[in-house]
Order: sequence, then C-alpha cells, then structure tokens
Amino acid sequence: MTTTRGIMSNIEARSPKGRFILGLFLVILILVSLIVLFPFAYSFTAGLKTSVAITKAGVNLWPDQPLWDNYVQAWNKFKMVTMFGNTFWVAGGGVVFQLLVSTLAAFFLSRLKPAGFKIIMALVFVTMTVPRIAYLVPLYITLADVPLFHFSLINSFWGLWLPYAVNPFMILVLKSAFDNIPQDIYDAAQVDGASKFRLFYQFTIPLSTGIMLVLGLLSFISLWGDFLLPLLVLREPSLQTISVRLYNMTRNYPLNLFMAGSFIAMVPPLLAAVFLQRYMKGGLTF
Amino acid sequence: MTIQAETMNSRTPASAKSQGKWRGQLASYIYVIPLLVIFGFMTIGPIITTVIYSFQKVSLGKPAEWIGLHNYVRMFGNPVFWMAWKNILEFMGLSIIMGFMVPVILSMMINEMRSLGKFFQTMVYLPSLIPIAIALMVWRQIYSPDSGFLNSFLKAIGLHGQLWLQNPLLVKPSLVVVMTWLGAGGSVLIYLSALQEIPTEIYEAAELDGFSPWQRIWFITLPLLSPRMQIMFILQIVNVGQIFTEPYILTSGGPGNHSITPVLGLYNTAFQNSDFGLASAWSVSLLLVLSLFSIVYLILSFRKEAE
Repeated sequence: MTTTRGIMSNIEARSPKGRFILGLFLVILILVSLIVLFPFAYSFTAGLKTSVAITKAGVNLWPDQPLWDNYVQAWNKFKMVTMFGNTFWVAGGGVVFQLLVSTLAAFFLSRLKPAGFKIIMALVFVTMTVPRIAYLVPLYITLADVPLFHFSLINSFWGLWLPYAVNPFMILVLKSAFDNIPQDIYDAAQVDGASKFRLFYQFTIPLSTGIMLVLGLLSFISLWGDFLLPLLVLREPSLQTISVRLYNMTRNYPLNLFMAGSFIAMVPPLLAAVFLQRYMKGGLTF
Repeated sequence: MTIQAETMNSRTPASAKSQGKWRGQLASYIYVIPLLVIFGFMTIGPIITTVIYSFQKVSLGKPAEWIGLHNYVRMFGNPVFWMAWKNILEFMGLSIIMGFMVPVILSMMINEMRSLGKFFQTMVYLPSLIPIAIALMVWRQIYSPDSGFLNSFLKAIGLHGQLWLQNPLLVKPSLVVVMTWLGAGGSVLIYLSALQEIPTEIYEAAELDGFSPWQRIWFITLPLLSPRMQIMFILQIVNVGQIFTEPYILTSGGPGNHSITPVLGLYNTAFQNSDFGLASAWSVSLLLVLSLFSIVYLILSFRKEAE
C-alpha cells in the first residue's frame, strides 16, 4: 500500500500544531494565488471600463457599468483574427518544423548511430550552451540577406520558422524517449524486412506520440509568446504576432481597448494549458 | 573460366557487404541533413560571424571593413557597457533572493497541501503560459505612477505611492518581482516533481527516530533537492543574464540607465544606432559570460542524470 504523506505525517498534520501550520500554508498559498491571478483580473476588468475610469485613482476593480462592447471593439479594431492567425501560423509552423527536424535527428542519434554520430551529438550540446541572444545581430543579418542565396526572410514567417526549427532540448528529450523503446520491436521488424525509414515512421513515431504531444504543446506556448525575434523579423503590421502588434499599438489606441485586447491575447495559451495539464509531467519543463 | 567465376562469386558478397554497410552509414546522415543545414545557417554561421563582426565596421548592404580592436576599445570606454553589467549583477543578486528562493518554499508548501496541491500548482504555473510582452504591458499599467493600481491601493490603505519604475533604487526590485511572477511557476513544477520522487519511507524512518518536521526539511528534503537546486541556480543566472523584454517594455533601460541590461544595450546599439560591429563586440562579451554558466549547467545536469 502506498501511503500519501508529505514531510509531515498524516497524524502530525491532524495535530493542533500541524493544523496551524497547514492553515498558515493555506493562507499564504491563497494570497500567492491572488497575486498570481491579479494581473489577469486587472486586465479583464480594466477592459470593461472607460479609459478615464482606468486612470482614475481608486481600488474599485469592477466598473459601475461594465462596457462589454470594449471587447467587441478591441476584437474588431485590433484585427484580432489576423493577429491570432499570424501567431498561430508562427507558433504552429515553428512546432511542426521543430518536431520534424528533432524526430529525424533523435532517430539518427538514438537508433542509427553511424560512424561520427558523436560529433553531431556534441554539436547539439554546444549549441545548447550558447543562448540565441548572443548571436542575435548576425542572425538578423543572415535573415535579412541569406548567405549564398541572397534573399531576405524579413517579413516572412520562414524568417522565424527556420531559426525556431533547431531546438536542442527537444532533440535530447526525444532521443532519450527513443532510447527507451525496446530493441526487440526493431529486431522483429527488421527480420520482416522493414527498411530504416519504415522503422522510423511506422514504429518510432507512433510509439512516441505522447511525448511529442507534450513537447509540441510546451514549445507552442513558448513560441506563441516569443517577442524579440518576431519584433525584429516581422516589420509589416499585417504579419505581426499578437505580442508584437499589441506592443506597437500601445500608444495609438485608448487604454481600455488595449487592456481588453491584452486579456483576449492571454486566453488561447491558457486553453492550451488545459490540454497540457492532462499530459503534464513536471520533469519535462527542464 | 569456371574457377575465375567462382572466385568472383565468393569475393563479391563480402566486398558488396562492406560497401553496402558504408553506404548505409552514409545514408543515415540523410536524417540529419535538415538539422545540419538549418544549424549551419541559423546557429553555427551566426556564432562565427559574431566574432568576425566584432573586429569589423559593419553596415547592411556595404562590404565590411577590418578595424582591429576598435569596437572593443569603444565598448570598454562606454560607461553604459559597465552600467549594464553592474545592473545584471544586481539583478542576479535580487533574483537569487526572490526568483530562486520563492519557488523552493512554494513547492514545499504546495507539496504539504495534498489534495489542494494540484490546484495551487496550476495557479502558480499560469503566468508562465501567457505571452511575456502582454503580461508586461499589464504590469506597466499596475506600476504606473499616478493611475496605477498599486499606488491607488497603497493610498487607500494609508501608505504613500512610490515611483516603482522611475526611482533608481526601486526599479530593479520592481522588475525582479515581475520576473518572479512570470517564472516561478515553471520552477515550482520542477521542484514538485523532485519532492514527489523522495520516498516517503525516509520521512517515516526519520519520524520514528524523533526528527521534527523542520529537522526533516533540513536534513532530508533540502539535501535531496540540492542537485536540482544547483541546476536551477545556474539556469536562473543564465536566464537573468539574458533579460531584455522586461526592461525593454517596462522601463526602456531607465531611469538613467539604471535598468539597462547587456542585451538591451546590444539591441539599442544594433537596431537603433545600426552599429552592428559594436553590437557584435557586446555579443561576444555576452557569449563568453553566458556560455561559461551554461557549461556549468550542462556539467551539473549530466552529473545529476548519471546519479
């Protein structure tokens, strides 16, 4: 029988002192949750006010007359559909490329292991240690004028998909997932004459869909919120992602619409999280 | 003829086999072509070019000129460069107190909550999910000097409002609070999974030996968490070393460069002054410092995995 207990045993937790400590923890955690939720609530209710009411000093969060119309206006004026569409394309495309490149590379590192594979492995590790920010300037120049081919990826989603495509962390996690697939499956399939590529798409991939889904969702959420690279690459307003577009529009629109827009922008990643919750294992955030 | 044919026959399979094996190995490399091509253009190439550019005068669409150490001389002579690194050190110090310690404490509390734990775990993770730029724009409004919620709230309970982002003394703690708000959830998840890996038998045995709950934390929980904590510590430092979006959106590096960071300085040098050579010198300084910490991080996480 597995006992559920924390650092304190259940008996200690039920003693007066234990109850007091747990009660204290509960109060602290509720306070923390309120602080965590506050900016969400703030942008939601500020989005229901007039701009004058937001800037008026006072602590009344809920407006006297909620202006639900602000949300409709924000949705239309900010062309939210286009912005969501752009962000979805950027993040979704990025994830697809990451998964494509990473599964192939992980299969190579985990199963094929030809002569010299360790060099590739070392390359993956080395890039993991160099943050992208440190080579931002030449990356930007590369994207503005791709060497050898001489075309510009500025104002193109490719200018984000290609830099996003290499994700060393994803390669390593997938490699260790592939390592855990029993060798017998591969041996049996090879006896039946399956080619290497069939081993990849007919056995390895279907056996790893769970981990791919989790990695994909995590990566989708982080790409959805990426700021610096889209800020540099997407100059054309009609192509900009939600973070970049809202940032650029701060000064040109009334505050209340802006807060309503901000709140709308926070909803999809939260929805993605609901799906993620089912598959979430803490260790994966590493 | 027949003999010759026979020897031919007996020889070909062997050589074909070794040739086939060699071909098979080479064919395996097809799987990493996408990785290597994108890698070359988007990572390795730019890393090498960063170093080259730092010795050149670079402008878009013009051939670069070699100018020796001139960029470095200008960089070291610029007080903003030193200011940025000094700020980063202060940010690191503050974020060790807040960003590093808060998740450890929170995860232990959440772990003790049992049934409600899952709920609080989800709560603290929420900010990690939303686009950072959007969250920061909301925080900018909360911190705003006259109309912000924070100052209104302080006045309502009889305290004085503060210039959270405009006061050189307050700007860094104010930013670190937001950074902690944004990042603590992810760390809490990691610590929680580490806490749940600790076998309950150890606690039971310690309890029988008369260890109080606090002693159990001190002698069992913390030592068992420490490999994770070391990794998170280095990761925290690497992440803080790269901060850009927070000061860019909240303060633009102000007041008086009191919240400028190396990445923000790099960004301004490259994309506002179009001085790509000088910006590359900044990049090299970042590259050296951050890679050093990243290597420590990798060594530590491998050691943890080996255990």
